[in-house]
Amino acid sequence: MAAVFRAFFGYLFLVMIVRIVGRRPGKQMTPFEFVLIFFIGGLALTAIVGDEVSFTNALCQIITMGLAHYSLAWARSKSQRFARLVDGTPLILLENQNWRADTLRHMRIQDDDVIASARDSGIKTLQGIDRAVLERNGEITVSAVESNS
Amino acid sequence: MATESFTKPVENSVAKVNDEVAVGEDLEFQRKWWRFENAAWVIFTLIIVLDVSGLFGRGPLAKAQRRTADGTIDVKYERIERTDSPSIMTIQFGPSAIQDGKIHLYISNSLVKALGTQRVIPAPQDSLIGEGGLTYTFSASKPPASVDLALQPAGPGLFDFTIGVVGADRVHARVVVVP
Repeated sequence: MAAVFRAFFGYLFLVMIVRIVGRRPGKQMTPFEFVLIFFIGGLALTAIVGDEVSFTNALCQIITMGLAHYSLAWARSKSQRFARLVDGTPLILLENQNWRADTLRHMRIQDDDVIASARDSGIKTLQGIDRAVLERNGEITVSAVESNS
Repeated sequence: MATESFTKPVENSVAKVNDEVAVGEDLEFQRKWWRFENAAWVIFTLIIVLDVSGLFGRGPLAKAQRRTADGTIDVKYERIERTDSPSIMTIQFGPSAIQDGKIHLYISNSLVKALGTQRVIPAPQDSLIGEGGLTYTFSASKPPASVDLALQPAGPGLFDFTIGVVGADRVHARVVVVP
């Protein structure tokens, strides 16, 4: 029984930590994130599994994780406040040719990250960016200035 | 029989600005979240500092030493233990602990069960159960002489233990086992 609780609280704790560690821009994980994810995963595994290495335990803990994840997704779909708490909200990084300096600083994002996303969308100049948004999944979406000519 | 419609037309369920779908940014919430994040980092740092100092076991604050008034034993132990983590309790004997080339050491049951004594080093010559504990007999010559107990607590809690040479003063102490 304790193993199931360990799995449940382990899941919630990891969700909280990952939420606080923050969104990092980019479609692919950087080497730093690889280290973070694998290391946190490995450390959590030791504590959550403990010395209970039976198949039954693995089965029950996996089901617990599944249920915890399902409950989180369900609560997220039912309450907008909860969804905001778990996912955060999209954040504008650049709009009307103005950087949102406060947001960039708090989210630990550099202007280079925005430019990289702009290049990815085929925009070559800063002036060509209408708006850059840090999405909830950490991706930066950039929309181009509409040309009227 | 009519069934409930499987689809729903796109309506004004999504907020719009100038006829564009709004980004959905909520800066007020985000500022509160940043404040919470800052507090969380402070708390995380504090937890790590406390951990390094031994408040959660395995550090300077966790180490303890107790000596009986008559000087028969001096016990070095960890006042904060961790579940399923091994540690050593060392019992140093004074000259008055050795009687006729033998030491009779009493340890309470809590040391064996709750604090999980795995091994006694060196192995005792004899063990006797009773008085809510165990009495080990060791052959001994002259001090310095010591016995180690390898502990590995099975679960968290607050546990009292008693240890001492038979017929002499005893050490009573409390150990916190963290999860």
